[in-house]
Amino acid sequence: MAARDFWRRHENLYFAITNKKVIFGVVIFLSIMALSIVGPMITPYDYEEFAGPGYQRPSKTHWFGTTIMGRDVFTQVVYGLRSTLLVGFLAGTIASAIGLVVGFVSGFFSGRAPDEGLMMLTNMFMVLPSLALLIILSAYLPYRGIVTQSLIVAATAWPWTARAVRSQTLSLKSQEFVNLSRISAAPTFRIIREDIAANMFSYVFMVYILQFNGTILSSVGLEFLGLGPTRGISLGLVLQNAVNWNALHLGMWWWTIIPGLILTMLIVSLYFINTGLDEVFNPRLREL
Amino acid sequence: MKARWIVLAVVVSLVLGSTAVLAAERNQTLIVGGGTWSQATSWNPLYPNCANGIRGLVYETLFAYSPLTNEHKPWLAESGGWISDKLYEVKLRRNIYFSDGQPLTAADVVFTYELARDNELTYTPLWRNLREVKAVDNYTVQFIFDSPNYQEWQIELYTRDILPKHIWENVPGEDLMVITNDDPVGSGPYKKLLAGPDRNVWVRDDNWWGNAVFGQPKPVEIVDMIIYENNVALGMLMQRTLDLSNYFIPGVPAIKDLYGLTTWYDGPPYMISANVAMLVLNSQRKPLDDAKFRRALAFAVNPEIIVERVFERMVPVSDSTGLFGGWTEYRDAQVAEEYGFWYDPDLAKQMLADAGYVDKNGDGWIDMPDGSPIDFEIIVPSGWTDWMESIRIIAEAFRAIGINANPAFPDAGLYDERIQTGDFDMCINNYGTGISGSPFSYWNWVANHNINRTHVTEGNYGRYDNQELFDLIYKFNQLPPLSDESLAVASEIQKILLVEMPAIPFWLNGMWAQSTSQYWTNWPTADNPVGYPCSWANNWQFGTVEMLINLQPAQ
Amino acid sequence: MGRYLSKKVLIYLITFFFAVTLNWAVPRFAPGDPISMLLSRFVVLEGGRDILESFFVKTFGLDQPLLQQYFGFWRSLFRGDLGISISQYPKPVLSIIRDAIIYDIIILVPAIVLSWIIGNKLGAFSGVSKKADNFLMPVFYFLTSSPYFWFALLVSYLLGIVLGIFPTSHAYSATMRPGWNLAFIADFFMHWFMPFLTLFLVQLGGWAIGMRNMIIYETNTNYAKYMESLGARERLIRRYGFRNGILPQVTGLAISLGTVVSGAVLTQMVFSYPGLGYLMVQAIKQNDYFLIQGCFLFLIIMVLLANFTVDIIYMFIDPRVRHSYSGEV
Repeated sequence: MAARDFWRRHENLYFAITNKKVIFGVVIFLSIMALSIVGPMITPYDYEEFAGPGYQRPSKTHWFGTTIMGRDVFTQVVYGLRSTLLVGFLAGTIASAIGLVVGFVSGFFSGRAPDEGLMMLTNMFMVLPSLALLIILSAYLPYRGIVTQSLIVAATAWPWTARAVRSQTLSLKSQEFVNLSRISAAPTFRIIREDIAANMFSYVFMVYILQFNGTILSSVGLEFLGLGPTRGISLGLVLQNAVNWNALHLGMWWWTIIPGLILTMLIVSLYFINTGLDEVFNPRLREL
Repeated sequence: MKARWIVLAVVVSLVLGSTAVLAAERNQTLIVGGGTWSQATSWNPLYPNCANGIRGLVYETLFAYSPLTNEHKPWLAESGGWISDKLYEVKLRRNIYFSDGQPLTAADVVFTYELARDNELTYTPLWRNLREVKAVDNYTVQFIFDSPNYQEWQIELYTRDILPKHIWENVPGEDLMVITNDDPVGSGPYKKLLAGPDRNVWVRDDNWWGNAVFGQPKPVEIVDMIIYENNVALGMLMQRTLDLSNYFIPGVPAIKDLYGLTTWYDGPPYMISANVAMLVLNSQRKPLDDAKFRRALAFAVNPEIIVERVFERMVPVSDSTGLFGGWTEYRDAQVAEEYGFWYDPDLAKQMLADAGYVDKNGDGWIDMPDGSPIDFEIIVPSGWTDWMESIRIIAEAFRAIGINANPAFPDAGLYDERIQTGDFDMCINNYGTGISGSPFSYWNWVANHNINRTHVTEGNYGRYDNQELFDLIYKFNQLPPLSDESLAVASEIQKILLVEMPAIPFWLNGMWAQSTSQYWTNWPTADNPVGYPCSWANNWQFGTVEMLINLQPAQ
Repeated sequence: MGRYLSKKVLIYLITFFFAVTLNWAVPRFAPGDPISMLLSRFVVLEGGRDILESFFVKTFGLDQPLLQQYFGFWRSLFRGDLGISISQYPKPVLSIIRDAIIYDIIILVPAIVLSWIIGNKLGAFSGVSKKADNFLMPVFYFLTSSPYFWFALLVSYLLGIVLGIFPTSHAYSATMRPGWNLAFIADFFMHWFMPFLTLFLVQLGGWAIGMRNMIIYETNTNYAKYMESLGARERLIRRYGFRNGILPQVTGLAISLGTVVSGAVLTQMVFSYPGLGYLMVQAIKQNDYFLIQGCFLFLIIMVLLANFTVDIIYMFIDPRVRHSYSGEV
């Protein structure tokens, strides 16, 4: 009895966890997360050490093979995943936070000065090719760490959230219940918090996922060009090394294909979750 | 209706166009890469960043130099030598002419040198010691010195491009370095054909004077490709769209038999050595200002690991003195024996302890005698993958004996800025240690005296200050090659460098050369030294032209 | 309509100003002095360096105060003079860029246009056919999730190395001369194909998914259901759905331009394809202020112009904008 009530109240949640796409995406995402957490613990090697002879294909002793110099690819991938996921998470959160604030304010005051100004700023950032901007910024930083990289990636990623949040705010603003609150002279901030934000949670969550994807791709792109953090290891760096040391030409496909595949699957999983949630929150899409 | 005519017109023009110029045949074209890193924008030999190939292919020098045999081969000159202490005389060959048909005579040589006397050019400093250059007759040139720099002169002889007076005398002084010299006229075996964003193309001058003297170079065209990534070069080698690659390519030892690549040696070290890779120590920072500390560092690293893992044995470990090639004629075996270094981490630790460097606070790292912590950052340019791996290994070796050292990879621009301004602890560098006709260039780089400025650009980035050493190097320059006195001074220099260790020579970087034989054969190798397979800039006169003469088209 | 256009133009102008200033400022405030870098690689005689150094500094005007350099930059911009490259001295930046920009356009324009058209068509097809959808969707997802450079490596490996069909680098073979003849064009095409394919396929996935979702959404709208209940043919409904679904796709095209230009930079690196992105990365490695500025400027201009074009197209497609019913969409 209680269970059925629970599900009836949280109808969306029910649909969320039974949606095939969401399940698929979550399973893959969690597996990769698990890989990044558990991986470093179960591997007998360090990511810098010369774990064996070079040029080894995937085997029992080296699950993803070794690099040209004999480093263990599996170890490099799992440690690199940590760094990449961290940047994506950090940058995505910062970008979403900025985007949320900008989007709300802009949407709420739509048509007036703050909106025009913020939208101009947003459009500016959206139009600029982000990688080019990132390249210029990172190339000239004296030191690049995970935090710095997250910050500059976030700086170019927030416009997407801002725009999406703004348009959603706009559409919600004209809904009845918001007008009611206004008539009842509730303070602006409360209107934003209770009426608009509460209804946007699902939407914002989906945008956050997309943001996460985008920031991971941007930061891996930077790392690939050699503009990533100067210390430590990351997925983009593993791929860069593979390219620099001629992995493909020398037949070491495992060094290039596997890390990239894991990265792609990570992004695919997030897209699946996103699409699934889209179906959940927009019943019209539930048909297929 | 109209559209059909347009299509027809396009097709017809395409077909007609195909019968047009298709450049030289593939088996008459030599495709090289590895020596050119940016689009050519100047063919002016007076401008240091001029196109690769200007010196050697288009313009020529009095002598060619062979790093393999340490010989100066008479090229434009027929002979040359010191007639007296202060007089060097060159006898030119007859029947040399420029590509426009004008003869090359003593007047051109005199003109080339006087140009630097009368204008600010890169070789103007020569005139500090040179008093006069005169043409005794049409084919004899005399260089009269106040006090000759004998050692530097050894290098000068194969470095100076001889310019045609009849063309350059019309160039105003302030334009000398600026003009692009789009149609270079030189005496060399090739002429400029074209230069694109990703290649330079040179075409053979069939009237080259050297055909009768040395033989005719076989490639009708040389295409010098600009490739930024070595994996791209490897791909081209494998697809046979590159004949000679002078790139550092990882994996060559593993695949050379599979893909039919030719290297100088069949086995390790595969490549000829080209320069010394050194760990430069910043002697202005404690404790690197202590010679004992610096010397101990040399014993901490096993360069064999670098040679094996990073370079797959394509390079050799360096001798303690750093001398190799022709420079070894000055090597003092006894000094090397007595003051040299080898891998012995326990000894290194002992040496440090004896000098007062032990772990005072129990954190596992060695500290200064007064207890303050020590930690170093070793830098190399980001993207130079072989060096990046090498300093990882070196830092690891230091950490193993208790020295807190970490690698860092600033961008190339930042790296250069930091080493020039002295804002570093340690770095790997080899900019001025290329093989040459005299070890003077090497020592003058390692211990350069121009260190009292904001940007140090002539070597000695660690700003090691030792006036006695500077004076010795200066003195060495003033001594005739291989004279007893020069050997004695050389010994002194080596001893000081080993005892003081301002920079540690770890391995010899290679003259990377891999070639394929689908279109050209008779590549120079250790068993068949018919040339020097190097397309790097300012190396063509090291024997690469000879290689071109001896190449055979494959049947 | 006028208000819509003028607003857009204003935004673009301000963006341009901002980008140009940023472009000018960042390389200058960075460590690393390009002249010293150039100098350090030349082994010249003692004392020769000083001569070279003062010569370079004078030529590039780097000894002037910063503000003067900034205004000088705008002045020369309007004159069409982007300065002289430091790393490729004495070639003017504009001519270097002019040589390179053709390579960007030739892979970007076909890739963007074709992937948009074919992607939308495939997406629409997938939206209505459930069988095709189950098969195609994973493929689309894979394509759109792939990082550009990794996908480029994959394409290069499979088509270039394993199958050996296409050459893996550069714009044309070493033995070819650019010319309007069949042999050269064929060779150029072989080198062009893989970079184009990479950009084409990765974008394709995105458009297909977007369109597919739009179609499904539209098919479930009230008007579609109404038409269905009236017995209208499925193709008619689909056509209306397509027309409505196209609108956000056009907006999406504008938005995605920045991303695909970024993707082109990465793809060019993998294939050593001599476009602007490639040039810019090399220029950064050499601290060539003027070349970096020039490349970045051109990238911005390209993207802004493309955006503007899309905005104009959108204006004609969306009647609401034409009649100024609402502002932003």
